[in-house]
Amino acid sequence: MTALLTHDEAALRDAAQWAVEQAAKRGARARASVRHEGIAKTAVRDGEIEMAERSGSQSLGLTVFHNGRRGSASTAGFDRAAIDRVVEEAMLIAAHVQPDPDADLPPADRLTFAGPAPLLYGDSPRSAQAMLEAARALDRITAEIAASDSRLRAGESVALATEGLWALATSDGFCRTALRSNDARWTVMLAQDDGGSISDFCQSQERRIEALIAPETLARDAAARARRALGARAVGSRRCAVLFDPRTAATLIDIVAGALNGASQYRRMSFLPDPVGRCVAAAHLDLREDPFEPLGLASGGFDSEGIAGSSRAILRSGVVEGLFLSSFSGRKLGMASTGNADGYYNLALTSTAESGDWAAMLRMLGSGLVVTHFHGGKTDPASGNWTQAVRGFWVEGGEIVHAVTDVTLAGTVPAMLAAIRTVGRDVARIGAIRTGSILIDDMQLGGRA
Amino acid sequence: MNGGDIALDRARARLFEPAGLDEAAIGRALGELAGGGADLADLYFEASSTRSWQLEGGRVSQGMFAMRQGVGARTVHRGEVRFAHSADIRPGALLDTARAVRTLAPGGDVQRHSPGVALSRRTAGHTLYPALDPVAVTDATAWIAILERIDERARGQDHRIVRVDANVRLTDTTVLVADADGLLAGDVRPMTILSMIVIAEQGGRRARGQAGLGRRAGLDGFDAAAIDAMVATATRMALNNLEAIPAPVGEMPIVLGPGYPGVLFHEAVGHGLEGDHHRKHLSAFDGKMGERIAAPGVTVIDDGGIPGRLGSLGIDDEGTAPDRTVLVDDGVLTGLMQDRLNAGLMNARSTGNGRRQSYAHLPLPRMTNTFLANGQADPTDIIASIDRGIYATEFDGGQVDIVTGRFNFTTIEAWLVEKGRLVVPLRGATLIGVGHEALRHVSMVGNDLALDSGMATCGKQGQSLHVSVGQPTLRIDRMMVGGQAS
Repeated sequence: MTALLTHDEAALRDAAQWAVEQAAKRGARARASVRHEGIAKTAVRDGEIEMAERSGSQSLGLTVFHNGRRGSASTAGFDRAAIDRVVEEAMLIAAHVQPDPDADLPPADRLTFAGPAPLLYGDSPRSAQAMLEAARALDRITAEIAASDSRLRAGESVALATEGLWALATSDGFCRTALRSNDARWTVMLAQDDGGSISDFCQSQERRIEALIAPETLARDAAARARRALGARAVGSRRCAVLFDPRTAATLIDIVAGALNGASQYRRMSFLPDPVGRCVAAAHLDLREDPFEPLGLASGGFDSEGIAGSSRAILRSGVVEGLFLSSFSGRKLGMASTGNADGYYNLALTSTAESGDWAAMLRMLGSGLVVTHFHGGKTDPASGNWTQAVRGFWVEGGEIVHAVTDVTLAGTVPAMLAAIRTVGRDVARIGAIRTGSILIDDMQLGGRA
Repeated sequence: MNGGDIALDRARARLFEPAGLDEAAIGRALGELAGGGADLADLYFEASSTRSWQLEGGRVSQGMFAMRQGVGARTVHRGEVRFAHSADIRPGALLDTARAVRTLAPGGDVQRHSPGVALSRRTAGHTLYPALDPVAVTDATAWIAILERIDERARGQDHRIVRVDANVRLTDTTVLVADADGLLAGDVRPMTILSMIVIAEQGGRRARGQAGLGRRAGLDGFDAAAIDAMVATATRMALNNLEAIPAPVGEMPIVLGPGYPGVLFHEAVGHGLEGDHHRKHLSAFDGKMGERIAAPGVTVIDDGGIPGRLGSLGIDDEGTAPDRTVLVDDGVLTGLMQDRLNAGLMNARSTGNGRRQSYAHLPLPRMTNTFLANGQADPTDIIASIDRGIYATEFDGGQVDIVTGRFNFTTIEAWLVEKGRLVVPLRGATLIGVGHEALRHVSMVGNDLALDSGMATCGKQGQSLHVSVGQPTLRIDRMMVGGQAS
C-alpha cells in the first residue's frame, strides 16, 4: 500500500464504471475520470518548521454524449448520491446546448484497452515524518552554506511528496488505472550586498526519491545562483545575441508546443496557423515527443480519452510533423487524435548545428546576454508577439562580465524560432521538457541607455 | 443581507445537513485540533458549485457543472503551521482530519484528551453582496441567448472579426469558519464572470482583443448596455492591435489609463505590503514604515468593503471583517495587510486580509480591492503633457519580485503619444520598474478613478484569487518600455 493514498484502485474503478453505467441508463454514451491524490509537505526555515501539511483530495469528472450533444460535470465526492447528481447535471447540460457533430467519444478501435504503460510510480518513503526529516536535512545544509558567506541568508527548504491514482472508464468498455508518484525538493537562498537583495532557488523533481538531486548540490546551486546575481545592473538598449539557459529555454519550448495544440489551432489562437508540413523553425532543429519514458515526468500510457500517444517527431529539420490533438480538436481540424487530450508528453529539443557544453555555448555567444530568469511578460497567442522582463548575465568574449537586471527582450516567436543558431549540450530536464541552452543571434534588448 | 445568521443558516443547509454535521461535532473537532497546544486553531468549511457555458464558433455547444466541498484544518503554534484538508466532512472524517494535523507535530501528538470548544461567538451581517445562488438557476436559456448575442454583435462590428469565443461562469460558494476561540461565522459569496476573446484578421495579420465582466451577482447584474460595452471593448482592442506597430524601447514617460492599469499599484506596492513578507524581512519595503516611498499625491488603499466587488468580503477566510487599510498616504508608507498568523507574530491585528483559494489551501495575507485614490488632474491634460511616450489602457497581468521590488506588466492595448496626441496603436510591450523608484516618478494623478471590470485575479504561492485593482489616469515620468522597435 502506498503511504499517502486512502482509496484503492478498485474503489476508483468502481466509481468510474458506476458513473458510466448511470449515464447509459439514461441513453447516453459517457466517459468518467476519477482521480485521487495524497500529499505530504513540509517547509523548514532557520531550523524551524514553517508549515507541515498532510492532505488528500479526490474528484470524479463525467462527460456524457447524447443526441449529438455533450455535457460535463464533476464532483469531489465518490458516493452514489454525488455521482447520481453529476450524471443528472451532465445530462441537463446536454439537453441545453446546441449539437456539435465533433463532440463524441473517440472510435473504440483507437482506445488502448491493453498494452504497455510506462512506469509512473516509484516506491519511496513519503510519510509526513519522512518529509519533515528531508526538509530539515535540506534546511541544515542550506544554513551551513549560507553561514560560510556573509552575503547569504537561507530561505525556506521544502520537501513535497505526492501520490496519485487515476481511473478512466468509457461506454466502450475501456477501464484502466494509473498510479503515479512525485517527489520534489527545493531550497531558497537570499543574497545581499550594498546593491540590495536578491533571491534564487534550486529544485529537483522526480517520480522517486532516489533520483532526486542531492541536498548538498541543491543548496550549493541555489547559493551559487543567488551569489552570481549580486551586483546586477542594466545594459543599454541594443540588438544583440541572446543565450537562454535550459530553464528559460524550456519556457520557450512550452510556448511553441502551446501554439501546436489542437485547441489553439482550431480556435485560430495560434501564431503558427496551419503549420503541418511547414518549416517554422531553423532547419537544424528537431523536437521529439516520447510518452513512454519510464518514470518520465510527463509520461503516460493513454490520455483522458483512453488513446495512447506515440514516440514521434513534432519538428523534423524545422518542419512541423505533428500537432497535439484530442479526438475533439482533431475532428475540428479534420485529423485524427494523437493521444494528446491532456497536452504534450515528454519533449526533447535537439539541434544538428555545431554546439557544446555551457562554457562552449558562452564562447559561441561571444558578446551578448545570457537569460537565466523570466521575471514576467507575455506571448500573444494570436500574433506571436513576445515580450519579457528578464534577468541574467552580460557576456564579453565568452566570459561572464556582470549580472544583468532591469532589461527586456522583445520579438516574435516565429522570428525567434527561425533565428535559433544552436541548442547546447548542457541538457537539463525541466518538468516535461529536455533541452540545452538556446542561442539566438539577434534580438532586441531594452534597457537604460 | 448576507453574513451573520443568514449565512450560518445557508452553511447549515449546504454543509451540515448532507454530512450529518452539527455545532457540537465541530466543537469536538476543534478541541481535538487545538488540544496539542496551539496559538490559533481553525476549521474552514467550504461548499461550492460552478456552472459554465462556452460559446465557440457561433454556437453554445459546451457546458460544465462542478461541485465540491471540504474542510481545511489548521493550527499555528509559535509560528509553526500544521495543516490538513479533506473532501470528507462527515463527523468521523472531521475528527480524523483534526487528528492528522496533530500528528504533524514533531514526534506526533495524539494522546491527550481534549475538551470540545463551545462555539458562541458570531459575526454581524453585511450588505456587500446578496446571499444569492446563481448556480441554482438550471435553465440556461437566458445565458445562452446572451452568449449568442455577444457573438452576433462582435461579428457585426467589423468584417475583420473572424472568431469570437465567450464564456459565462456562475459560482456559488458558502464558507464557514470555526475557531478555537469559539467563533462560528459564515459567508455566501455569489460570483458571475462573463468573458470573451475575439480574433481579427486582415492581410495575413492576426490580432486579439479581450474583455470581461465580473460581479457578485446573478443574471440581473448584467444589463444589455454593460454587455454591449464589453463587446465594443474587445473588438476595438483587436482592431487596434491589427494596426499596431512595434512598441519603442527605452526609458520614457508613460500615461496609464483608468481602471485595470491600477495593477501597477497591486504589483509595485501591494504585494510588498503583505504582512508575511515583512515578518520574514523579505520585502523591499521592510523597515520603511512611516517613510516617504512615493511622490506626494500618491495614496494607495486596500478596501475589502466595497459593495459588489469581487475583491470584497463580508468576512475574510479567518472570520475577520475586512478593513479599509491606507497603505500609502500622500506618499508616506502607512499600512500593512495582515492575516491572523502574521499579525499575531508581529504584535499587530488582522486587517481582514486572510484569504485562501479554497479549503485545500492555507490562508495568507492577500489583497482585496486595491487602488490609487483620485487626484486633481484632468485626464486629457495628462496625455497632453507627454512630448513622446506611451499611453497604455489595458494590461495582460503583471508580476513582482518581492525581494527586489522589481515589477513588470505587459500591455495589450497601448498607443504611441507624440506632442500630446495619440499617434498609432502599439504592439504589446513589457513595462518594467522597481516599486519604490516608479512611485517617486508619479507626477500627475487624474480625477477619473475607476476600478477594473471585475476580471482581475492575483496569484501568490500557487493560490489564485479574485481581486479588484483600480486607479485614475496617471503620468509616470520615467519607466522602461520594452518593445520590439530598435
